[in-house]
Parts: sequence; structure tokens; C-alpha cells
Amino acid sequence: MVLHAESAPPPGRGPREIDVLLRAFPTGKLSEIVGPSSSGGSSLLLALIARATISGDQVAVVDAADAFDPSRADAAGVVLSRLLWVKCRGRLALAWTVADLLVRCPGFALIALDVGDLANGESSARAVFRRLQLATEKSAAALVLRAPRPLAGNAAAMVVSVRRLESGWIGVPRPTRFTGLTSEVRVLRDRARSHARPREGDLIEAGWRL
Amino acid sequence: MRRIACLLADPAPPADGMADVTAKPRAGASELLHVALAHSPRVEEGDHGLVYLDVTGLHGLFGDEEQIGRRLVDAAQERGLTVRAGIAGSRISARCACRLGRDGGVTVVEPGGEAAYLASAPLSLLALSPEMDARFARWGIRTLGELAALPSAALFERLGSDGPRLQQLARGEDPRPLSPWEPPVIFEESAELEGGAETLEILAHAVFTLALRISDKLMRRGLFAEQVEWICHLADHTRHEGTFVPACPLNDGVVLASLLETSLEARPPRGAVQSVTLRARPVRVPPAQSSLTDPPHSSPRLITETIARLSALVGDEAIGAPVLLDSHRPDAVRLAPYRRDMHPSDAAGERRPALALRRYRPRLPAAVTLVAGRPVELRSKRMAARIITSAGPWRASGDWWNDSPWLVDEWDVELGDGTLCRLAHDGSAWWLEGIYD
Repeated sequence: MVLHAESAPPPGRGPREIDVLLRAFPTGKLSEIVGPSSSGGSSLLLALIARATISGDQVAVVDAADAFDPSRADAAGVVLSRLLWVKCRGRLALAWTVADLLVRCPGFALIALDVGDLANGESSARAVFRRLQLATEKSAAALVLRAPRPLAGNAAAMVVSVRRLESGWIGVPRPTRFTGLTSEVRVLRDRARSHARPREGDLIEAGWRL
Repeated sequence: MRRIACLLADPAPPADGMADVTAKPRAGASELLHVALAHSPRVEEGDHGLVYLDVTGLHGLFGDEEQIGRRLVDAAQERGLTVRAGIAGSRISARCACRLGRDGGVTVVEPGGEAAYLASAPLSLLALSPEMDARFARWGIRTLGELAALPSAALFERLGSDGPRLQQLARGEDPRPLSPWEPPVIFEESAELEGGAETLEILAHAVFTLALRISDKLMRRGLFAEQVEWICHLADHTRHEGTFVPACPLNDGVVLASLLETSLEARPPRGAVQSVTLRARPVRVPPAQSSLTDPPHSSPRLITETIARLSALVGDEAIGAPVLLDSHRPDAVRLAPYRRDMHPSDAAGERRPALALRRYRPRLPAAVTLVAGRPVELRSKRMAARIITSAGPWRASGDWWNDSPWLVDEWDVELGDGTLCRLAHDGSAWWLEGIYD
């Protein structure tokens, strides 16, 4: 089943399924957003952060690769004063420690762990994710990992993959403006809410504007 | 009968014959406060560069009210300030006397004569809201006397409680008592370390004791520390100092001590410490649970401890709440100390489906081939590919008015492998700024 979300592009079609998806990321669980560069995965993570801060929650961003852009976060509606940004400057082991400390600290509704392309899925990382999963289960926070490929294995209760459908350009004969991209989000695993939409296998189309 | 003096420093130039009551506070406000405190123990710091002081009973010391006013003006002049002084039976009357007076002059309103003195004064002296100002203008009310003469009951019916309150002010009656200025409280504790502390353990023990003492003082007054300074006096007669700002105000001595220890571990002193001083800036914190039905906030202690540990791990400059700078320069952002938002329901907008940009920090040097002025090929440390689509340049520049001007042409490009990038050319070189994702 394919569901359309947001209005760009195509504009105005379909229900706001992206909100349904954002609500589906479970608290007290580790979730994973996987997809290659320019797929829209970081935009989906940004939407999650925006939703949490707008509703008054505190969010921590563990930025392993120092890649987070606050001006785009502001454009997404993120309330920056409710955001704790921890820059790990390419030190992956440090990012694991920071995430571990934050998960054990009550007060954050969402912990976004962005590892960029630093992690390559080695077995030691699996042990880290098992530890993070156990810590998250004792908290009220949602821990969401953004990585190009699946890293957490069975530790992740929810896994969504993001794929770029098309990029948007305006102008003929030569493009004069880049407007954004359209992604297809597929729910690969949803252990937490198997009875509710989106179910495993559901496809959601989302547009991200520049 | 109470008598109030008002001092106004360096008033704004008169507009329509009157001083601008909405003027920003002027320089020298603290000097003016010093002048007032040298003459009366009861002083209130007002808005817009105003200071009020209670001059009741000062005639035995300084003479009559004219002389008191003259003395205040002269004392301010000695500090390089030009002030006006007004003395009357209430703050509003004294303030109006000040505004209606002349620079360097003293205006005394006789006791009981406030209403008559203010009758011809313009309504703008009350600093009304624009809506209220427009309403009175529609009614044809221009002076304080005209407002004072309106029937109180009818005024209440039309304006609610604001009506009688404004009418009282127009008559020179100010029901609010003077709110005396108090010096900011600083909690300070020091300890001498016999023979000098050469290890962090000894220093931490001393800091622990001091933190408990400060915590005890804070708790007794129902206050919390929002900032703690530590100063180590070293054996070589230099000082090693630092400031610690907890994410939430604290008054738990054990937590304060452990946070200070973490802060000292991150920046250990260079030599033996002969004495150590802790200085806490207190603040009053509203209760965490504002009503029975609200859920309690999470433990400030745990959050503060976690942030302190994270700061020690990643460095103070790598953790905080992002703040966008008022600039069009790419990546113009700074990190402010993270303070937990105590009012989560305030100031929230709506979510927008914005495209994220993953930045390279520092941005990567790139080699870009141009054909007909448009980029067609990109080579950098991270990627090398043909450019199939591009849009730009988007030109931005700034700071040309100071020593660090910048100019950048930004391009959005799509590579042959589907990667969407932002490139920048700063006039001399190309840079890969980030990847859209």
C-alpha cells in the first residue's frame, strides 16, 4: 500500500500520513532510520525532533559527525531552546558514551543519535546497541538512530528505510532553483505497534522542501 | 506624610513639549542609584532611567525639600550626570514633576497639591497602552485633570479595574508602596589550605566542604544557585578560576560539590592551591510542579549532573543549545549553555517539512569544473562525480562594514550517483558545504 504525505510534490494529495509515522516511533525503545545520502532520512529525523520540541518536550541530538545544521532545524519548526546539541566531532566511541548517558537521564523525550557514515556495522557496535536498548527500555525516551545502513540489528524495535523518489527543480530549459525532494519511507520492522498503522511493509511518501 | 523624590538622568529630547516616556534606560543608571543611596536608605530603581527615593524626614539632615532636590542634582552633576529632580507625595506625582521640569532643575509639589499640579499635564505622562491612548483620544480626554474629573463608576463600567486605577494616578495617588532596591546577594565561602593542595583529591575535599556551606545558606533562604564561580589562589601568587553554570538552578550541596569537582577535573590548577573560594549567584526558582494535576518535571539534579559529565567528555564548547546568529553567513550559529525550559507550553510554532542539510565541518575543499559558467564536475576528498543538474549561484555577502568581510556563491547540485550537495565558491576557491538528506 502506498500512502502520500505532505504536499510537495505532488501537492495536496493524500492524508498527512507522515504524522502517523512520526507518532509511531515508540518511547522506551530504540528505533532506526536507514537510508543512503540524499534519501531524506535526516529530514525525517528533523521532523521527529520538530514534533517533540513543538509539543514542549526536550530533545537531545548526539551528533557523531558534527553534521547537524540548526538553521535547517529552525526551518523545520524545531524549538532550538529545547534542544541539547552534543557534538562528538567524528569520535564514534564518544557518541556511544554520550547517548548512553543521555538515555539514562530522565528529562529528554527524544534522543536523536546521528552517526552519519562513521559506523560500519561491526560486531562491537551491535553490543553497544544492545546496551542502549536495555537502557532505553528503563526510560521514557525514544532513542532514534540515523545511519545509512542498518546497524542495531535486533536491538531496534522499529526500523524504517528511506529511499529518494525524485528531486525537485524549477526552471526551464535549465534549472534555476532546487526545491526539495520526495522520499518513500518503508516500515521494515515495527515490534512496538504491530496492530496499528503504519504496519510493517507500509509505504509512506513524504516531501521535504528546501 | 510620605514624600518621594524622583531623579531622571539625561532625559530624552522633548517631543511635543514632553519627554518621551518610552525612552530606553540611559547610561549612568547605576551612578544615579549610587547618588540616591547616598541620601536615603529607601530607593527604588524605576524604568526608563528613573530612580525614586523616600525623602521623608530628611529635612533634619539636608534642609527643606528644595535644598534636598538641589543637593541630589549637584551630587549627580559631580558624577557627570545631568538630572532633573521632582519631589511630591507619590511616585507618579514626583515622576511627572520630573518630566515637566527642566534639566538641572528641581520641582517641588506642595503636600496635598498633587491633583491640582497634575491637572494641566498631558495624558501621555501615564505611559498608556496604544489602545487606551486611542480610546481616551476618542473621548476627547487630553489632560490628567480631565481624566481625574470623569465619574469613577462610569469609568469602571467602561474600562474595568483599569479605569479607577488610571484615575487615581491622574490625581497623583499611587497606591503601590515604594519597592526598595536591594543589592544582589552573592553567597561566598573561602578556605585556606595549609601547606597548599597539590592534588585534586585534597582540593575536592575543600570544595566539598565549601559547597555544603553554600548549599546550607541557599536552602535556608529558599534559593538556588544559577552560577557558581571557583577561584583557586595558587602558590605562585596567580589565580586559577572558572565558572560553572548548571543546566538547572541547584541548592543540593552534594550535587554542587560533584559538579564543581568535574569542572575542576576538566580544568585542573597548574600548581599547589593555597586557598579556594566559591561564589554562588542565587536565584529564586518556582516550584517544579505548578499544580496538582501537572506532572512533576524531571529531576534537575540528574539533568545537571548529566550535562556536567557530558561537558567534561566533549568539552564545554561542544555542548549546548544552538542559537542562530543574526547573519546570512553560512552556518552562523553558536552554542549557548543548555538551560532546561521551565515553561514548555510557551512559544511553539508548527512543524514544517523542511529538507535537512548535513554539513561538513570544516567544509571540504573541492575542485569544480565549469562549463559556460555552470558546474559540471565535482572532485573532493569525499566524492568525485559528474554533476547532472545544478541551480545557482545564490549570492550572499556580509560584514563588509568591518574587518572580516565575506562573500559566497552557493550552488545546489545533483551528482550522477543521485547525491544532492551544496557547493560554495568564496571568490577564490570551491567548497563542499554539505549534503542534502
